[in-house]
Amino acid sequence: MEDNKRYPELRKQLSPGWWTANRHYAMYMVREWTSLFVALYSLIFIYGLSLWAMGSRADFLNFLKNPAVVGFSLIALVFTMYHAATWFYLLGAISPVKIGRSRTKPWQALVLNLILLVIVSYLAIWLLVLR
Amino acid sequence: MRAETHKVARLHAILWGIFSLGGMIAAFLLPVLIYMTAIAYPFSLWPFNGTKDPSFLVTGHRLGALFIFVTIAGSLYHGIFRFQSALTEVGLLKYRRALEAVGYFIIFVGIIVLGYYLVTWYFNGTIR
Amino acid sequence: MSQNIATIRVTRYRPEKDLKPYFQEYKVPYRQDMVVLDALNYIKAEIDGSLTYRWSCRMGVCGSCGANIDGEPKLTCASFLHDFKGRTITVEPMTNFPVIKDLVVDMEDFMEKLVKIKPWIIREKETPPEQGEYKQSAQELERYSQFSSCINCMLCYAACPIYGLNEKFLGPAATALAYRYIEDSRDQGKDVRFPIVHEMEGVWECTLVGECSVVCPKGVDPMLAIQKTKILGATNALKSLLMPRGGR
Repeated sequence: MEDNKRYPELRKQLSPGWWTANRHYAMYMVREWTSLFVALYSLIFIYGLSLWAMGSRADFLNFLKNPAVVGFSLIALVFTMYHAATWFYLLGAISPVKIGRSRTKPWQALVLNLILLVIVSYLAIWLLVLR
Repeated sequence: MRAETHKVARLHAILWGIFSLGGMIAAFLLPVLIYMTAIAYPFSLWPFNGTKDPSFLVTGHRLGALFIFVTIAGSLYHGIFRFQSALTEVGLLKYRRALEAVGYFIIFVGIIVLGYYLVTWYFNGTIR
Repeated sequence: MSQNIATIRVTRYRPEKDLKPYFQEYKVPYRQDMVVLDALNYIKAEIDGSLTYRWSCRMGVCGSCGANIDGEPKLTCASFLHDFKGRTITVEPMTNFPVIKDLVVDMEDFMEKLVKIKPWIIREKETPPEQGEYKQSAQELERYSQFSSCINCMLCYAACPIYGLNEKFLGPAATALAYRYIEDSRDQGKDVRFPIVHEMEGVWECTLVGECSVVCPKGVDPMLAIQKTKILGATNALKSLLMPRGGR
């Protein structure tokens, strides 16, 4: 094919701001960047545990009560919930279940899994703290 | 050469599988952990409206320590993996190998440190 | 502006003359049932014969007329003018492809990928015609039939930012087609296709943006095909790790 190209072809590079072009792309970027908060919370939690390991249990508990830590954790929780919701939606999109003649829709998987999340969360608290 | 790239691809397949598992963990287990440590405990809400506190999650019994390990390790892996991929999408694609190296290093260190603390506490009796 | 005029803003690029592409506006008499392709054909026939673009069947089955219309990858033959806000419609060549001229893009990369995944039934051994046809049940057909609807229009590649960032990515349509053959009960070519789709720049680059499935005019859902292929790859890799010498 090379001999056909007597004139240069126009090749445009996708700019780093490509995702601002429309709402779908922007929402996708938000969804991906929730991962930053998931990772940061995990690292901060490990740091908190290290305060306990090098000091005492009280150091860990005071760390948890630190307003900056609480503030960041609440933001992380919002983004974690957004990750969970979009994750459940994607699960629904990639595993449609055939019921009779119709297929399940992603938002149905979202609702179902959110209910499951509440159940699992309650179970975790009951099993690990209350028992 | 084909065999080598095939091995790398297979490794990548497994790494992706772990990433997916981490995503499940972050979606189902991380919210309740953050709730317990950042809302229930600091504001004395259920289940920490009495004498218990989040350290009980670690020392209460082995299941709690396991929960902490699985949730934090899984979330860390998933978060770093995905964030590194997100960075390549905002113009840093050419630094991909470096980003992957740094990412996996952080994951590795994080999980080793976490595991080390929990295992040490298990063996010195802090975890019942 | 009269009710009966539509303004079509088209990218023009003639490499032998232009250093950069530019927009040219044409006024086209507007009919309620017009599609963008009708407008382009009117422009070429009545106003500017140098306007260059691909089209063929004009009914959404050949896959030739893909373009970016008001920023979205669409078939020009399937895009009614009345669906767009305002009476000025911008028509650009499909994103992520090199442009040869005006709205015509270079399809070489896609063509190579299409051939690479071997889009035909692969048998370990062909049964002779006397033994009759390969039978397939309705359920077996259903496992892959939606993925066989692809018309190779490449709108999914235009919509995929991952392909835009990394041209080596196998991409939605090629993977969907590979999956169509992997899932076909008559096909025995998993060993041939798996290494291709599961290589480093195969399916793993996909991060579930999902735009490919949104723009597909045929409901192929390539995002679904890619995820299923990833799962096959991960389980395959796990199997070969746990059972290195057997277990297929």
